[in-house]
Amino acid sequence: MQNIAERYTGASVKRSEDPRILTGTGCYVDDVRLPGMLHAAFVRSPSAHARITGVDVTEARKLPGVIAVLTGEELDALTVRGPGAAGMFSAGLPMPSFSVLATDKVRLVGDPVVLVVAESRYLAEDACELVVVDYEELPAVITQEQALDPAGPPIFEDLGSNVLVRSPVATFGDVEGAFARADRVVRAELRQHRHQNVPMECRGVVCSFDLGSGELTVYSATQGVHIARTGFATQLDMPLEKVRVLAGDIGGSFGLKLGAAREDIACAAASRRLGRPIRWIEDRSENLTASGQARDESFEVEAAISNEGHILGLRVKMIIDTGAYPGLGGMLPEAVKGMIPGPYKIGALSFESTAVITNKASYVAYRGPWASETWVRERMIDLIAKELAMEPLEVRLRNVVTRGEPPLQMLTGRSLVGVTSRESLDRIAALVDVEAFRRRQAEARAQGRYLGLGLATYIEAAPGPRTPGGGGGIMGPEQMRLRLEEDGTVTVFTSQMPHGQSHQTTLAQIAADEFGVPFDQVRVVVGDTDVVPMGFGTGGSRSATMAGGVSLHGARALRAKVFEVAAHLFEASPEDMDLAAGAVSVRGVPARAVPLGEIARAAHEPGRVPRDLEGDLEVTAEYDGGEGGWAGGTHAAIVEVDVETGQVRIERYLVAEDCGVLINPAIVEGQVRGGVAQGIGAVLLERSAYDPDSGQYLSSTFMDYLIPTACEIPRIEIEHLETVPLDADVNFRGVGEGGMIIAPPTLCNAIEDALSPMGVRVTEQHLPPCRILELIGAIALDP
Amino acid sequence: MKPPPFDYSAPTTLDEALALLLEHGEDARPLAGGQSLVPLLSFRLARPSHLVDLAGISELGSIVVDDGHLVIGAMVRERAAERHDDVRLLAPLLAQALPLIGHPAIRSRGTIGGSLAHADPAAELPAVALLLDAELVAQSRDRGKRTIKAADFFSGFFTTALQPDEILTEVRIRRPALRTGSAIEEVARRHGDFAMVGAAAMVRLEDGKIADARVALTGVSDIPVRATEAEAILEGAEPTDEAFATAAEEAAKSLSPPADLHGSSSYRRHLATVLMRRTFKLAAQRAKEAA
Repeated sequence: MQNIAERYTGASVKRSEDPRILTGTGCYVDDVRLPGMLHAAFVRSPSAHARITGVDVTEARKLPGVIAVLTGEELDALTVRGPGAAGMFSAGLPMPSFSVLATDKVRLVGDPVVLVVAESRYLAEDACELVVVDYEELPAVITQEQALDPAGPPIFEDLGSNVLVRSPVATFGDVEGAFARADRVVRAELRQHRHQNVPMECRGVVCSFDLGSGELTVYSATQGVHIARTGFATQLDMPLEKVRVLAGDIGGSFGLKLGAAREDIACAAASRRLGRPIRWIEDRSENLTASGQARDESFEVEAAISNEGHILGLRVKMIIDTGAYPGLGGMLPEAVKGMIPGPYKIGALSFESTAVITNKASYVAYRGPWASETWVRERMIDLIAKELAMEPLEVRLRNVVTRGEPPLQMLTGRSLVGVTSRESLDRIAALVDVEAFRRRQAEARAQGRYLGLGLATYIEAAPGPRTPGGGGGIMGPEQMRLRLEEDGTVTVFTSQMPHGQSHQTTLAQIAADEFGVPFDQVRVVVGDTDVVPMGFGTGGSRSATMAGGVSLHGARALRAKVFEVAAHLFEASPEDMDLAAGAVSVRGVPARAVPLGEIARAAHEPGRVPRDLEGDLEVTAEYDGGEGGWAGGTHAAIVEVDVETGQVRIERYLVAEDCGVLINPAIVEGQVRGGVAQGIGAVLLERSAYDPDSGQYLSSTFMDYLIPTACEIPRIEIEHLETVPLDADVNFRGVGEGGMIIAPPTLCNAIEDALSPMGVRVTEQHLPPCRILELIGAIALDP
Repeated sequence: MKPPPFDYSAPTTLDEALALLLEHGEDARPLAGGQSLVPLLSFRLARPSHLVDLAGISELGSIVVDDGHLVIGAMVRERAAERHDDVRLLAPLLAQALPLIGHPAIRSRGTIGGSLAHADPAAELPAVALLLDAELVAQSRDRGKRTIKAADFFSGFFTTALQPDEILTEVRIRRPALRTGSAIEEVARRHGDFAMVGAAAMVRLEDGKIADARVALTGVSDIPVRATEAEAILEGAEPTDEAFATAAEEAAKSLSPPADLHGSSSYRRHLATVLMRRTFKLAAQRAKEAA
């Protein structure tokens, strides 16, 4: 063992995940092979909206190698209906009941209708082609207008219409007064286009029901094994204790892989019926078409402003398209409402929202699910600047809160303690040198070149400041078990389910520092409901504070327990114990040090320590988030638009972010870069497109749904601000979602700035080259 | 995304491959790199019952110079052609076009003949072949060899003059005349994607005037097309920016490109204008430098 001269926390420690992942020796769900394992494929709906009038599986069942073909009706009899995984986000909202596979109707292109189980995926797909489903076509409900039309066909008859929920106007402050007092009112209709999580690894599951024990074991790519277990147990009507969910390496998720999906339940039910393991690995067509999509919203916004650029009030109307099977989409407007004032001194707000159901893929969480509040606000601020012919940075600086000065709360209620938006704006302004850019921009325009500067700022409750009711954010406290092993290493059991966040590195860094062992002697165990503590899993940018915090406090508690045991061995006081070089000694008597492993063994040997200390040298810790806090930052982009082709080149991209104390700077920067890349993709490349008449999904391959590659992503310059310690021990804050939240408005603002000589006003987020030329007026809109 | 069942043969001689095609008729398809056919199989959009893999046929894999012609075997990988000195010397336009195809990994598998026979109207090589008046040599077991001019080879969306029992064996390209310059440019959504529109141009100058101007476009029709109006306008003209702009605008008027998710018909017509102008200008500049 080495002596620990420095702290791991704060250093770019190399990821302990990397050797296995980079050498191809990781274990993803696709790598799981069980004896007798069968392969599943689904017959999916070719129509957006149709009644099922007949299902004939006779020929499919005859194909050699096919083990079972289960129709929607047959699976319905084996499972419990319900919203399933989506239900966890929709407490209190109207929720239609639906079966695991479609029975009466199909509600989107790609809706699963029949499950085929065969000896290989090839054979299963051959059999899918032999299934004959008769459909009676219904009009597709695709646009918000179609969904709001009371004469339209209800997608769920039991709801009676396609309006899922209409929330009345909520008012904060004196809205009427603000508009009466305003020098001007800026209005905009802003459209946030639908796009989607595209993890490198699609969804997948291996379900194995043991006929002997009546237990179901599921290997899943999931963000949280316990949430998934609850989903399986509920829809299979099994006791929780009979379901075990395991997860290994996961190739990304971004919010998609939460709970047990309908396909997962179908495979588990089939495994229980057949008594054989069944594997379903989603292919890219299924993933793009039917796994879920996000960010389909429109906003009508009015801003009451003074001639000095102060935002006196906002009126916001939001419509969200939740897709076919309601889930997260229905509750998102509440989150948008709460966050829309952001870090600004906005005087008054009225907010109303409507959530509609359409024949499109279901709305799922996607990295910063409520992010449209930031896009709308940051776009409006630039439109306000344009109205007043002011520098957008100046409008932000006039409205953004200053630390320690009132208001200390967001208009909608949350404490703004520790918000450092002003600091990040100042830092970006210094890095960019706005005045120098404006001179360069003018010179370029004289040569027919169109440069633009955009910046935008955001805050994220990651996990959010402590509230009177307690900390921990919306997903509750975080637990962890930590154990000293007989070889002197520390094992950490966490409910976090890393899928790119590097928790096996970061949690070990924190525990190693706090306990006092080398980093490589902390092992982080994830992904097994039999051994990891209860918990939500990974999501919502909560891990840094919640899991980082419980790792710190847990390691501290384990160290105290080890000292207590050691004190008995030394017949000394725990306060006098010292840990160095992997051994405990009485302070000042290092020669008589006892190695950590020896202490763990002593606790296992009857009689060496008092009875209450006998057994595993283990603690269970819980952390409520402490003082919590905000993450946030400001991004800036300098772009050049080729006004002949509509292509956008990002010349420079800058980030000034504050996620508190950095656990591992390289990992933080990886999270920032990944988020920015997805944001660039959203604006320039990615769109989940539907034919508005037929409801056909048009983006079902990677030739149609374009994700950015390394070639499309510029160098990203990142500066870290570590401004405000709020808590005595834990000041790590989440950073996973920020890049994706703030890159789209940053880029939209830059593009509008570049095109300002043509009078272009950007009110939509998706700006592919064709659209840019339409906005400029260089080409006509095709009929 | 798994292909339906098919048989697979891997002949090592052209004769064997031609015999297999004859035997299996329209149910057989040659596999020439697989960068387009394999995805089509996985989507079950192509359903040949027999694949004849040409990868092992060494006689289709060479680049030679024959009587002023560059002769490229159909199974030459795009990446190998891109790095070949004779290609750079004798067919500069082809050398300029090859790096625009996909990414290096794709070009390392994709073949010259495969791309031509696949006849994607958005692809670079069909347009280049058309512009260069390339000769495409096809062979069948019963009828032997025949030579098809590029202008007669592409007959529609993913369709060519090749018969089911024929294999495209080589492409012959005549070396360009003196004082000739060429250029290719395209606009794609991302680096390496099929372009929404591409333009390849060649300009030959004589006594400071344009003796010959040619331009071929990708992505504006179901086959690669020559913009003959532009070519006619430029013949004999001074190589000025105005002349190129006028020619491009006139030629674009007759185009009615297809629309898709990535760009409207108007957008593609506009791009064709911009790219014709840009490539004419660049080609003329290179012709001057070559003089």
